[in-house]
Amino acid sequence: MKLTRRTLLSTAAAIGTVTMMNPLPALAQDRPNLLIAVDALWETMDPVIGISTSGARVHYNLFDTLVRRNRWDDADGTELVPWLATSWERTTPTVWTFHLREGVKFHDGHVMDAEDVAFSISEQRLWGENPEAPRGTRYANGIIRVEATGPLTVEIETEVPDPSIAYRMVTPVGFVLPKHYYEEVGLEAFGQNPMGTGPYKLVSFDPSTELVAEAFDDHWNGPVPAQSLTFRIVPEYSTRFAGLAAGEFDVIVSIPADQVEQVRNTPGIVALEKSIENYPMFAFNTLNTEELPDNPLTDVNLRKAMVSAVDRDGIAQALWGGATYVPAPFNFPEYGDYFDPDRKAAYSYDPDRARELLAMTDYDGEELIWHITRGFYPNYEVAAEFMVEQWRDIGINVRIRVVDNFSLAYQRPFHMLNMSMSSEFSGDPYRPLWLDWGPNSSRVNASHKTWVPTEGYLEAGERFAAAQEFEERNAAYLDMVREWEDDTPGMYFWRNVVSYGVREDLNWDPGNSAVTIFDRLYIK
Amino acid sequence: MIGFIFSKVARAVITLLVTVTLVFIFIRFSGDPAAALAPPDAPQEVIDQYRRALGLDQPFWVQYTGYLNRLAHGDFGYSIHSGRPSLQIFLDRLPATLRLGGIALVISLVAGLGLGAVAALNRGRPVDRAVMGFSVFAFAMPNFLFGLVVILTGSLMFQVYLGGQGASGSIFGVVAPALTLGLASMGSYARFTRSSLLETINKPFMLAAEARGIPYKRRLLRHALPNAAIPLVTLVGLSLGSLIAGSVVTEQVFAWPGVGQLLVRSVATRDIATVQFLVLAIAATMVIANLIVDLLYLVIDPRIRAR
Repeated sequence: MKLTRRTLLSTAAAIGTVTMMNPLPALAQDRPNLLIAVDALWETMDPVIGISTSGARVHYNLFDTLVRRNRWDDADGTELVPWLATSWERTTPTVWTFHLREGVKFHDGHVMDAEDVAFSISEQRLWGENPEAPRGTRYANGIIRVEATGPLTVEIETEVPDPSIAYRMVTPVGFVLPKHYYEEVGLEAFGQNPMGTGPYKLVSFDPSTELVAEAFDDHWNGPVPAQSLTFRIVPEYSTRFAGLAAGEFDVIVSIPADQVEQVRNTPGIVALEKSIENYPMFAFNTLNTEELPDNPLTDVNLRKAMVSAVDRDGIAQALWGGATYVPAPFNFPEYGDYFDPDRKAAYSYDPDRARELLAMTDYDGEELIWHITRGFYPNYEVAAEFMVEQWRDIGINVRIRVVDNFSLAYQRPFHMLNMSMSSEFSGDPYRPLWLDWGPNSSRVNASHKTWVPTEGYLEAGERFAAAQEFEERNAAYLDMVREWEDDTPGMYFWRNVVSYGVREDLNWDPGNSAVTIFDRLYIK
Repeated sequence: MIGFIFSKVARAVITLLVTVTLVFIFIRFSGDPAAALAPPDAPQEVIDQYRRALGLDQPFWVQYTGYLNRLAHGDFGYSIHSGRPSLQIFLDRLPATLRLGGIALVISLVAGLGLGAVAALNRGRPVDRAVMGFSVFAFAMPNFLFGLVVILTGSLMFQVYLGGQGASGSIFGVVAPALTLGLASMGSYARFTRSSLLETINKPFMLAAEARGIPYKRRLLRHALPNAAIPLVTLVGLSLGSLIAGSVVTEQVFAWPGVGQLLVRSVATRDIATVQFLVLAIAATMVIANLIVDLLYLVIDPRIRAR
């Protein structure tokens, strides 16, 4: 560049602006501005009202939870890490005390204290009669008192002794919101102009276009690795891919399963496939109802025959390569000590046994209807076609009925119903076994219910819920699994897979999660 | 003439009422919005809570009359997700759609008229055949396919991203989506201009003009083109509808944050109030566009005024 008076002046002006705007120029210099193309953004960024995959991708960048899971060292995140809470202990069997980190600032500089935490988990917001954020109800299940007992201590009391409280502070109910700001602007404005303690501070949010946030250099766990984050809505996958290939985007989400190979073969970008804590499955309708008075699936042997007739491992391998696998029922790696890599399913692929089981039933080729929601779970419909053929091989006649949404899928009559179940983290199998199949679950209670739990299952479940020590809980858990398999009210497929396309030189890995965090632990 | 205007306006109102009713019915029979709002595996109490909050537990007739009553008072409902007024959400998105649609309309009109005129003046020659071939291609090409081909070509061959640019978008970012959106109209304008111009050129008044010694260029621009353009007014009025309907696909493909993308998302998330209002607004746009075309005819075609 030729040095003239003009270039000299403009350079000087530019340096002047940078120093004026950034008190930390050394930090700001080479940090990237990251552009993340997402398929959707939830319309409100209140982290509980906006519980969803499209919200969670943003929330953890703007807000912090009390406790966090360490996925930066271990993709399954079985270790709990003190986050906004530095420690916690059980004061009485039903009371937990959390000690908060000192000097944590919200984005407006206000210092977080116990009042903010008590407000965030309050009756009014989460678990009262008519909570402001009803989507959080089930995460706050069982909490009866939350109180700031000191400037930096909070007590949480539960109805019955609950060893999982610390784990629950990892979920969206553990996000700490600024009480002063929330009360000042109100629930709706907060959702449009969210403020937390997270590594990035909101700049602008337009639910139809994009959300822009910039590095919050006062973050307690800095330095923040990117200058800014932009989550831009690009609904069409091909367009996201084009933007990534052209260098416009740094990260894209949700690559269709059959397109991952294409991304992998494109120079300059890498594809990440992560198996997450969500399990596509179907429930057998085990009930005789008005719409289905002679339901052959009331016979447990027919259900077991169907499970034994399907080569799930083969199907998962064919559809996913090595991206995921078929776990034994409720034996999930995210459960730490409860996870037993050697435990096998009671009913796995065995066509001869399937035929034997089938011979023990009165089933006579009646058509069984399987309701599937179109395109909701990746590869589900393709897998279903394989399964239907394998059932046909032993003489079971299943017809797939694909519908456009869940409420249509829930309309009876159906013999099998598609769904997925999350093993949301409680550190143990509480959620997938007891909340998803127990007496208060939608499998047992909802208008689309499909099951009545057996006596043995209920007994083991109550024992599990009441137990406080690992040995006792683990024994009850294994009894529940045994009872569940013995009644086979459903069949789990595989761990769900999420995929990302990432610019090659961005060293970012979210772990086995659909949540995207761009702090210094995840960007290496 | 008063009778003509009155009958047109009455027809417009009835069209809108029928649209509103059909949308109201269909959206309630295509799946429960409360179930869509709650997480897929939410317990029944949560779904019921949403249903009560949305008034979906009321009898159908009560919901319908209540809805019409609120419409009459200018209350277009609120998004079930964000709680914001549907009207406001629509207005936020409208400028993007108008910008895209406006530019698409200008591109398709200018290119369509120009190509059509060139074809007409070169009738039977290779230029004519090339233009007509292009117009068939333009008309027949599905815009989602054309859009994707444009985007992927730009990205994989030239390392240029042609999709939506977000809030920081420049005018260049609009060309690819506007071309995609306007392509079909461009094709039909070109064909229409060609045939209309050929017909006009052979009319007796053109022969009279030539006999009066008016130069060729003036004859073409001042006598032939304006007369040939009259039927195009109808065509443009009708294609306003296809610009808006087409924007649903184009905006989705190009990540263009307009009304079309909003409609797709609102339908997918069962945001009933927003879907109802958007369909109403789109229907109203088409009805009003057609009404304006009808009334324009009063101005440009004296024969109707005489009725």
